[in-house]
Amino acid sequence: MANLTIDGKEYEFPDGTSLFEACREARGEALPHFCYHPDLSVAGVCRLCQVEVEGMPKLTIACNTTVREGMVVHTRSEKVKRASQQILEMHLINHPVDCPICDQAGECGLQDQYMEYGLYESNVTQATKVLKTKAKVIGPQVILDQERCVLCSRCVRFCNEVTGTGELGIFNRGDRALIDVAPGVELDNNYSLNTVDICPVGALTSRDFRFVKRVWMLKSADGVCPGCATGCNVRIDHEGGRVYRLKPRRNPEVNGSWMCDRGRMTYKALHDERRLTEPRRGDQEARWAELQDELATALDKGALGLVVVSPHQTLEEMYLAVRLAGSPGKVVSGPADAGMREGDSLLLDADRTPNRAGLGVVGISELAGKDLAAAVAGARGTVLVLGGDPAADAAVAAALRQHGRVIYLGTHGNETAGCSSLVLPGAAWAEKQGIFVNRQGRWQAFQQAIARPGNAREDWRILAEAVGRQDEEAALGSLKSVRAALAAAVLADPSIDLNKLPEHGFAPGGEN
Amino acid sequence: MTIVWESLAKIGFMFALIMGMVVVLIWMERKGAAYIQDRTGPNRAAILGIRLAGLVHPVADVFKLLFKEDITPDGRHRALYNLAPWLVMTIALSTYAVVPFGDFLTVAGRQVPLVVADLDVGLLFILAIASLGTYGVVMAGWAANNKFTFLGGVRATAQMISYEINMGLALMGLILVFASLRITDITAGQADLLWGWLPKWGVVVQPLGFILFLVSVFAETNRNPFDLPEGESEIVAGYHLEYSSMKFALFFMAEYAHMVIGAALIATLYFGGYQIPWLPRPALEAHAGTLLTVKLVAVALVSLLIALLFMRRVQREKGKFGDARDREPVLGMGLWLVVAVAAAGALLLKPWAIGPAGASVFASLAQVGAFLVKLVFFAWLFIWVRWTLPRFRYDQLMRLGWKVMLPLGLANLVVTALVVALV
Amino acid sequence: MSFEGLPQGSGAKEKSFKESLYLWEVLRGLGVTLRHLVRNIFHTGEMPTMQYPEEKRVYSDRFRGRHRLTKREDGSPRCVACQMCSTVCPADCITIVAAEHPDVEIEKYPDSFEIDLLRCVYCGLCEEACPCDAIRMDTGIYEIAADSREKFVVDKDFLLNNTTDGTR
Repeated sequence: MANLTIDGKEYEFPDGTSLFEACREARGEALPHFCYHPDLSVAGVCRLCQVEVEGMPKLTIACNTTVREGMVVHTRSEKVKRASQQILEMHLINHPVDCPICDQAGECGLQDQYMEYGLYESNVTQATKVLKTKAKVIGPQVILDQERCVLCSRCVRFCNEVTGTGELGIFNRGDRALIDVAPGVELDNNYSLNTVDICPVGALTSRDFRFVKRVWMLKSADGVCPGCATGCNVRIDHEGGRVYRLKPRRNPEVNGSWMCDRGRMTYKALHDERRLTEPRRGDQEARWAELQDELATALDKGALGLVVVSPHQTLEEMYLAVRLAGSPGKVVSGPADAGMREGDSLLLDADRTPNRAGLGVVGISELAGKDLAAAVAGARGTVLVLGGDPAADAAVAAALRQHGRVIYLGTHGNETAGCSSLVLPGAAWAEKQGIFVNRQGRWQAFQQAIARPGNAREDWRILAEAVGRQDEEAALGSLKSVRAALAAAVLADPSIDLNKLPEHGFAPGGEN
Repeated sequence: MTIVWESLAKIGFMFALIMGMVVVLIWMERKGAAYIQDRTGPNRAAILGIRLAGLVHPVADVFKLLFKEDITPDGRHRALYNLAPWLVMTIALSTYAVVPFGDFLTVAGRQVPLVVADLDVGLLFILAIASLGTYGVVMAGWAANNKFTFLGGVRATAQMISYEINMGLALMGLILVFASLRITDITAGQADLLWGWLPKWGVVVQPLGFILFLVSVFAETNRNPFDLPEGESEIVAGYHLEYSSMKFALFFMAEYAHMVIGAALIATLYFGGYQIPWLPRPALEAHAGTLLTVKLVAVALVSLLIALLFMRRVQREKGKFGDARDREPVLGMGLWLVVAVAAAGALLLKPWAIGPAGASVFASLAQVGAFLVKLVFFAWLFIWVRWTLPRFRYDQLMRLGWKVMLPLGLANLVVTALVVALV
Repeated sequence: MSFEGLPQGSGAKEKSFKESLYLWEVLRGLGVTLRHLVRNIFHTGEMPTMQYPEEKRVYSDRFRGRHRLTKREDGSPRCVACQMCSTVCPADCITIVAAEHPDVEIEKYPDSFEIDLLRCVYCGLCEEACPCDAIRMDTGIYEIAADSREKFVVDKDFLLNNTTDGTR
């Protein structure tokens, strides 16, 4: 442990802590910086996080200094202020200041920090700036503007250290130095958009998000990526009932600061034209009010033959499916290998469903395609398909068609919807709250970001109502009560409040 | 049988008079308000480009209101909601039955009294019927199922009841002076002269009573400064808020009909009704020839003057608009010239040598004319006051009614009674 | 109602008996209105009323009328679709859809630029916010009328050539 003084107050930090992090904690906000990133190596090139340490002849950069016993650090002294002003002035010499057309405007490190620490009356009278390439497409996802770059080298370090692909590099020297890809190389890996996230200015921007929205118009909700079993924590940026982008939310236990490009594109399915918005009976649109009685009879414990739950559903919905069927034997999932593709060693899992581990939590068994088809064929009574697309398997599709009395509660007009006599529009992941259990067995809750399209309803509510019709004492009127019942049913310690899961997720049996 | 036809003719005349007055009053209200406020007022509606100084606007309004959608609120009391505007209008019209608009007209040797119903309790009839008007207002307010209309109805009721008492008290003095409840008697009584030179008008013998009555009539007709039942700033439009189309038009017309009856009552009870001051009926008949001649000459001269004024406009405003509106001054000049020529032409018929039958008819018409002049003036007074005074606050209204006017009315009554008893 | 203890304004001074009767004051008021009435009947031409469609008021050059989009020398809009105007707009009446411009020097331009004139409050903040002098409210046009709400939503082409009366 090291005792040190920051801005006149005593603090204690473990040995080896970077002075940057110590100052972040002491000040309540980070020091101005461009190149420092907690999940990357220290480069110390932007020179912005300089602090005054008593006993040192000159200012020192906090990111490349570790705390030491007896250090006396000043982060707000006049000297430090002047230093950051001068550094920012230097960074701005060749910056084009084309904020009006820059997608980064609003979340730009240069904007924010110049606002706070900048030198408004610059000494630089240089009339022309060094011109570099603008709007250069360097990969399928990323576009590069070399003029805006402040050469912090975060992107270069990311490609070297995290993905190990090394597409980007800094070329030339002095004020002609620029970020670029080597000739003939493209920034084409599944993690390329992380370079956009970590770019503190608008040098690297997303082609997918390019000119779509100004960022200050977006609202955010905390989500969990539904793209694979990893369950990267994401921030859902949305506005006016549309999701515009997903950004990784830092969770050192799961995804660090990163997420894959494939996961970022999962939002597009939310606004797919195949989205179900109205209940349909056969080819005809129906209204929820008309279906009340029909659902009551069809989803009765006695009338329900089989529930096929997709691993895309939330944990609450899986639990309610079991409650509704009465016995775990009548609830299955499958086909077992659906969603299995190739993964990688970093984040992307071979299992492209977000909640397969949840099936195990509530005790739902997975069947292979052939077995599922047999189970459907053998089901006496209604078959309720909850989400997913089991009918993508031809055998299951045939069995569902054969069976005839199939209710599909899902989000998209897919094969399974085509095989069903009654199709109910449910809520997709960004349109409801829920819990996904990732491949580590970590329970992660996510918030609702946008409204459901048309007359779609939350799946858990439909199921909870059906349960309530059979068991008047179930009292599952709110998600809170469903979660309480779920905790009581599956957790060793039922006192855990599933509405307030820890920030980094909750692993039953694990240390948190 | 004749009496039936006579009555129908008189009712018809009264109805036409009131309806005609309503149109004229609406025009007077708009133009008067505009001129008082230094505006030009309505001047757009036109027939073939002729605007008649805004007189075409009421016509346009009628067509608009007739063809407007009749929007009715949900949750209304259907029967009362539909009944209210008719009730208000009917009651407003009924009061006229007892107001004499002239002395008598000699038709085929019979003297036809120029009043629809010469009731011996005419004043009581007026007070009774006027109180019924409250029902229409409170019905409209309640039946529309709207808090604003309801408040308007409640306000109207409280206000009308408060001021009816003052109205009655003011009239009591008058009744004592003229010793009759019959309105024709009261009017006839005002033909006399006091001390040989002052007309014995109600306003002369009952000055305080007149002021109290005037204020009460303003309050009874819900006109400014007593138009709280429809105070826009607080309750939108008050009791008729939920009415549209012709039903609204009925309320609107009823307001003006009330004004006409108010003006008629003021003129009849306090300003001698159809009596022309210093020219009682016998004098009128005796000097009919001279008076008619003077009148025709006066008409001819005045018309000529107006025509000349129009001629000035013709010259000054040549081609001002570049459309049909340019013809208006020409038309006005022509019209007044025709009147002048007609009046001058009538002189050729030797009006100074009019016979006794003609003299009687002239006297009757002159008296009806005098009544109309007074009626129009007091109707104008309503408009004039409206565009001069601001609206009372409700507590001020009640304080004035109960704490100022009621004691004054009682005092007036006592003093009048003493004077009448002593003289 | 009593307001004892409250400071009395100059209007709340004791009334004389004549004033407390109000009658005289009412008559004086009637006199004032009658004076205006008579003067206006005989001097119709001196009334300040403007016969609007025929006569029009002359407004200052700084009057904020309907918006226009300024052009570059080649006739394309100066707007770079930065959406500062729609951000600052208190009435939220500007809708811009940005697109990639083929000229890399311009880079961003408005694919569509719509203003809902019914929502606009003519505050001029969009002019203030614009970094490119692309939107101006100097047309002086204030006669904005149409027979449907849709017609009040004016598009980019309209705003670029916004010199005539009426709406779209």
